Amino acid sequence: MTKQPDFIPTSKFLDELRRYQKGSVSRRHFLGVTGLGMAAAVLGGAVPGLRPRKAYAGLSGTLNFTTWPSYFAQENLDNFTKNTGVKINVAVFGSNEEMLAKLQAGSTGWDVFVPTNYAISTYKDLNLIQPIDLARLPNYDPATQEQRFTAEGIIDGQVWAVPKDWGTTGYTYNSKAMSQKPTTWKEFWDLTRNEATGRVMVHDYQLTTIGNALKYFGYSFNSNDPKELGEAEKLLIEAKPHLFGINSDYKPSLIAGDAWMSVCWTGDAVQLQRDMPEFVYVLAKEGGEIWSDFYAITKDAPNPDAAYAFIDYILTPQINAVEVQAHGYPSPDSRTNKLVPKEMLDNPVLYPAAEALSPLEFGAAATLTNPLRAEIMARFKAA
Amino acid sequence: MRLYVMLIYVFLYAPIGFIVGGSFNSGKQAMVWQGFSLDWYGKAFSNPLIMEALTTSLYIALVNAVLSAIIGTLTALGLQRVGGWTRAGFDALIYIAIMVPGIVIGISTLIAFVTVFDAVNPLLSVRLEMGAWAVIAAHVLFNTAVVALLVRARLQGMDRSLVEASEDLYATPFGTFRQVVLPLLAPSILAGFLLAFTFSFEDFIIAYFVAGPDVTLPIYIFSSIRRGVTPEINAVGSVVVLSSFILLIAAQLILRRSGRPAG
Amino acid sequence: MTRSAGRPQILTAALLAPAVLLFAVMLLAPLLVIVVFAFGERAPAGGYAAAFTFDNFLNLPARGKAFINTLTLAPIGTLLTAVIAFPVAYFLALRCDPKWRVTLLVLVMAPFWTSQLLRYYAWIMLLGAKGVPAWLSYLGFPDIRIINTPWAVLIGAVYGYLPLMVPPIYVSLEKLDKRLLEASSDLGATPLRSFLQVTLPLALPGVATGAMLVFILLMGDYILPQYLGGGKVFFIGNALVDLFLQSRNWPYGAAVSLALVAIMFVTILVYMRFVLGGSGQRRVALV
Repeated sequence: MTKQPDFIPTSKFLDELRRYQKGSVSRRHFLGVTGLGMAAAVLGGAVPGLRPRKAYAGLSGTLNFTTWPSYFAQENLDNFTKNTGVKINVAVFGSNEEMLAKLQAGSTGWDVFVPTNYAISTYKDLNLIQPIDLARLPNYDPATQEQRFTAEGIIDGQVWAVPKDWGTTGYTYNSKAMSQKPTTWKEFWDLTRNEATGRVMVHDYQLTTIGNALKYFGYSFNSNDPKELGEAEKLLIEAKPHLFGINSDYKPSLIAGDAWMSVCWTGDAVQLQRDMPEFVYVLAKEGGEIWSDFYAITKDAPNPDAAYAFIDYILTPQINAVEVQAHGYPSPDSRTNKLVPKEMLDNPVLYPAAEALSPLEFGAAATLTNPLRAEIMARFKAA
Repeated sequence: MRLYVMLIYVFLYAPIGFIVGGSFNSGKQAMVWQGFSLDWYGKAFSNPLIMEALTTSLYIALVNAVLSAIIGTLTALGLQRVGGWTRAGFDALIYIAIMVPGIVIGISTLIAFVTVFDAVNPLLSVRLEMGAWAVIAAHVLFNTAVVALLVRARLQGMDRSLVEASEDLYATPFGTFRQVVLPLLAPSILAGFLLAFTFSFEDFIIAYFVAGPDVTLPIYIFSSIRRGVTPEINAVGSVVVLSSFILLIAAQLILRRSGRPAG
Repeated sequence: MTRSAGRPQILTAALLAPAVLLFAVMLLAPLLVIVVFAFGERAPAGGYAAAFTFDNFLNLPARGKAFINTLTLAPIGTLLTAVIAFPVAYFLALRCDPKWRVTLLVLVMAPFWTSQLLRYYAWIMLLGAKGVPAWLSYLGFPDIRIINTPWAVLIGAVYGYLPLMVPPIYVSLEKLDKRLLEASSDLGATPLRSFLQVTLPLALPGVATGAMLVFILLMGDYILPQYLGGGKVFFIGNALVDLFLQSRNWPYGAAVSLALVAIMFVTILVYMRFVLGGSGQRRVALV
């Protein structure tokens, strides 16, 4: 390998990452030009902030990592395996409810998983996660995190989860396929039953699907009021025959052209726009959801040492910056943000203007566990 | 008619062609063609997780097939020797085991075992957990019932005079069994074994509920499809197609040599 | 068979013991737990809480559509599969060159040995906007939508279960004595008449066996409606996965499971009584 600077200019980095992800350049080329290969090879030495390599000694076996679709940079995982010998087994889930159900049933074998802000207190109450010992995460700095995105990981002063990234839940539509330019949830649901019939998707997830149906009537995203939920159910069941599908993994259908519009998370919009700029991301005027995802370690993690090593590795700013560029969700860590290309920091999808953010709500724990919501979602799907 | 049959074969093989074709794609997405390459085969076979899932699946399918073939044959033989309510009871159980959908077997096994484990784990020094063994046990239930039916059908069609001849020649009961009955049953036992292997190797839904931390190939593929399929998975799929061709042709040749197709 | 005279009972017991253990631990005990759970309540955060209530059963109509979907699409899918499989089996058993017979039969079954998930995934592409509908629009049929409709699920059902339907029909047709057909035509029967009066009745046990197998698998299917129905064509299997792996309402899920088992029980008993005609014909010819 010829001598390369540790890190290339961030704009070039993004290009290289894209080329690598499309498969037009080899992994070796990618790691070479970006300096990541070097970083990995001398992990700790050349890159400031990385702890010495010997700290990773003594690790082995498999790390079971459970996360969401398109939510990590494969090259980061590969480098972790290369340096520690720990194989990473990635399982992908479609909703927090599904993760909770699996953990409640027991015997998951998971080590690290990715709960969303409102789910953490439930996991803690059900005794499914273990407290995090920050001393074992030297590369994580609580002081550089944006507080509103870390708050729910801390319960009664104890840290139970550390922040991964944050984002919003809006919707995306294909501007080439549709004549209208919707900006609100009202238009989203009205178009579903009109021009875009048979071409719209919603998540297979009660929290966002019911929450955004509630926004049609101007109710709170978190409403647990039976009367308001009843109206949302009526809307959902009316819209059901007009939907293309109910699926949290909606990107393939949007790309293939089967679907034109879908409830959408920030990073998926960023990923879509990379190849198909006609996809417009809408943070609806009425509001909607803002959220943050965390890393947590399960109570019965079979490989807790690898779990700590992995979280510490992935939250290292240089590594985390690669994550952010791959999945397209902003980090709450100011150290990481310094390493993210300016185009990304300026992208209004990732970092919406303050006035677009202000009507958004964080999901609440009760919204996740409300049995009526679960049943409404099930009735909607079975309708 | 010939044309119709040809169309059916096209219908059956179009998606498989799609899978195999995708495995030679040099790009990262299985379904977007970027050029020819064999790299994914190498990658698939050097990916420890795929290999682990494949080994787990083969192990589960094989153990399950052996156990089902043995228990199913024993059951069929035992049922020849009982009548009345005992036999009716067993018949009912065999039909229930076949009739209850896999998804219900998976769910009920999961909640029954998890409930028991939650109760007894605090009292034990080891932790009881779901895993590959539970998948095997749940598969053996269905497959034992299938093997028992197959072997019994063969037993009923068997010529009793052969057994009597053997007994007249003073063969011991075990000798008669080994030299006369077993060879006659062999094709149906083999057929049952193959069916058991297949159902187990292909099963997703039971394993999804009861496999605990263990990952079978279908579970791995399910997760990969959610994450976006890479040609790696296509490569594994293609290898499985090829091996199954070879196995099936071998099995058919064995069955044909041993007389008539098992029924 | 009653040749028990002088045979030690202990051998019989030993032969049946493994099955007794298996059925008790893996079938009866779990089903018993399901029955108990079905009378319980959902715990506040999900799961099971002990109770005695009939609410779960009274609430079954809330999944009525899933039951209706399954109970219409599973029989239609089974019937379609049988109808499409029959000529293939007929060709293989009676019309094709014996040299190729084994190979062709293997080719019918082989797809079943290939990952079901991958094959359905391939169908998502084939039936999606860039697949068959795109070709159809070249032919002048624009805007045909297949994926995520009941049609896609039916195509998938035929595709997925054809490999299981052809072999039993093949086996019963292969046993057919060709002299019967010759006799029938010698007696002046038209080919159609021979087919209806000789071939079809003899093939029925194979069709019945295959149909039962496919019906059982379709009734409990989850992957097929999930992949090709896109969460819009909802089967009982989907409702169950939802109840256990999303909304965590175990008691209600237990009640739905019991209802599914009960429906299958009744359907199959009726089916065995009328189609298979009593106990004599219940021979299962799977391979």
